[in-house]
Amino acid sequence: MAEMTLHQIRKTYGGIEVLHGIDLECEKGEFMVFVGPSGCGKSTLLRCIAGLEEISSGELRIGGALMNDVPPSRRGISMVFQSYALYPHMTLFDNMAFGLKIAGIKKNEIRERVQRAADILQLTPLLGRYPKALSGGQRQRVAIGRAIVRDPRVFLFDEPLSNLDAALRVATRIEIAKLKQSMPDTTMIYVTHDQVEAMTLADRIVVLRDGEIEQVGTPQELYRTPRNVFVAQFIGSPAMNVLPAQLHHRDGGATITHAASGECVLGGAGAFDAGPVQLGVRPEDLALAGDAAPLFRGRIDHIEHLGEWQLVHTDVGIDDKPIIAKLPGDLDVRRGADIALAARPSSIHVFDTDGRRQNGAGRT
Amino acid sequence: MTVGTGNPPSESALFWTAISKSFVYSLLVCLGVIVLYPLLWMAASGFKTNTQIFNAPFAIPLSWSLENYIGAWNEGVRSFLVSSLIVTATSAFCTVMISAWTAYGLTRTRMPCKPLITGFILGGLMLSPTVALIPLVRMMQSVGLYNTHWALILLYTAFRIPFTTFLIRAYMLELPSDLDEAARMDGATEGQIFWHIMLPLCRPIIVSSVILHILFAWNEYLFAMIFTNAQEVQTLPVGLTSLMAKHGTDYAQVFAAMTISALPIVLLFFAMQRYFVRGLTEGIGK
Ligand SMILES: Nc1ncnc2c1ncn2[C@@H]1O[C@H](COP(=O)(O)OP(=O)(O)OP(=O)(O)O)[C@@H](O)[C@H]1O
Ligand SMILES: [Mg+2]
Repeated sequence: MAEMTLHQIRKTYGGIEVLHGIDLECEKGEFMVFVGPSGCGKSTLLRCIAGLEEISSGELRIGGALMNDVPPSRRGISMVFQSYALYPHMTLFDNMAFGLKIAGIKKNEIRERVQRAADILQLTPLLGRYPKALSGGQRQRVAIGRAIVRDPRVFLFDEPLSNLDAALRVATRIEIAKLKQSMPDTTMIYVTHDQVEAMTLADRIVVLRDGEIEQVGTPQELYRTPRNVFVAQFIGSPAMNVLPAQLHHRDGGATITHAASGECVLGGAGAFDAGPVQLGVRPEDLALAGDAAPLFRGRIDHIEHLGEWQLVHTDVGIDDKPIIAKLPGDLDVRRGADIALAARPSSIHVFDTDGRRQNGAGRT
Repeated sequence: MTVGTGNPPSESALFWTAISKSFVYSLLVCLGVIVLYPLLWMAASGFKTNTQIFNAPFAIPLSWSLENYIGAWNEGVRSFLVSSLIVTATSAFCTVMISAWTAYGLTRTRMPCKPLITGFILGGLMLSPTVALIPLVRMMQSVGLYNTHWALILLYTAFRIPFTTFLIRAYMLELPSDLDEAARMDGATEGQIFWHIMLPLCRPIIVSSVILHILFAWNEYLFAMIFTNAQEVQTLPVGLTSLMAKHGTDYAQVFAAMTISALPIVLLFFAMQRYFVRGLTEGIGK
């Protein structure tokens, strides 16, 4: 029995539909991450689950019970807002205790529960302070603390790290991962548009686009076998190179050629239909060709040094769009030089012209 | 003398800054005198005798006896002051509470026809009190509230709700809705969100609204004159007029009475100066 089930969830704002029938199942204790470009409906979906927005049609079940018309506080849900939404006129203790006080819980128990959450989040010495006397990271922890004390079945986060600077974001990300481990029975739903957060935290990722689910799967599944070009380019950084290509059957195997006349023998002819396709290859799967037959030949347009790695932008003469390769940082390549790049056949992604994935098995 | 970049400003520049500064200060002092002098003159005249007022109107009082003040106090100013306090305080409380609750509904709920209701409430701003007088008198008479404090409290509340709602609503619209959503997630009911979250957050505008209402109600004359006629229910503005009619020649006592009636507002002003300025500029827009 799934902990949370979404069945054909739709949401319309004044005649405009922003969620087009979302189907999703969440297991107990799962860490689920919603990713997608800005405006795709991540926050809206989260707010529908929280009960802050009315669901226009469809069913939301938590623990088997229909939740569509249940008020937010009775859904067994806590939410951490992007802006933290701490009550500015209350001390940290009161911020965390507010929900419990309203629920009519006894003073002793409130004190105990707040204390426990404060211990977990190292907030104990700050409990008497007001939110304005805290740093961004501390406010973030208070917001999480306020959610923890209510002991929810489902924990919702809406881009909780987006107001933090890069270093703090990494640190808090790790804290959230640890928090998850310490609450194995709590289901967590986490919205972000940062795919590193998504990859590192998620048990499963839900990729959304324009109010529809593009793919649901573990980070590895999404990375290795993206169902379409959108997911392929959304997951992984830098994004996958995708270019138009042609698929032929030759000598009993499939061969893919692209406009700049590179080619690669894929083998396993049966798996593919001959014809126009799109070829996808991740920057990290490209390497200097050496003796192998090159997939791409071109002139180096631009190099971004990242220390251990360098991103080599190569102009192969297709659509003005450079092919990006992630090569070891100590490799001696120069801007303006010619370069030949190759990829293992198993790392090639083949999509049809509509962007749907063609090679079923994906990489090995 | 050479003046290079980065050097301290030259003496002539300093001279002109000093000149312009003293000019501004003297202007402000003049303005202050213009505003304060009549008030002080009124208060001082309350200490004089009538002959003194006529013979040496601008002189310092010869003695600081409180005789006139005590006289005025006993002549009815005490009851006027109490009436004014009751009417002003009660109507301020009612107006601000009702307006805040209305503004909360207009900004934070999924009530249908919100623009229509907003328009209806703001439409109340157009209603001139003078036009409504005769029907209001008839209504107050028929419900038996004529010549009571409640008549004024009701009228002041009703006539000030549109403006106050408008102010508080504008402020609430600016407040992010995250906080009340968080409170809703915490299980708070609408009333609890209003009381524990919204009211504290709106404190600046609430204080401003209260001040504006006090200014209005304390000085209101038309309704007070028409809806009360017994001395026990009359408020200060009306009471003072009747005092003048009765003791028209006893100027010293009238001045003393006026000073007493102005005192609470002046004290309020000094206590809440910060909010006062804010209240007067609120609603002008940002
Ligand atoms: N109250 C509203 N009224 C009308 N349209 C809305 C409302 N809220 C959101 N939308 C629309 O719904 C769509 C999804 O918005 P949503 O906030 O869920 O996006 P998001 O995925 O969270 O984006 P971001 O990453 O920028 O936060 C957007 O096109 C937005 O314009
Ligand atoms: Mg969002």
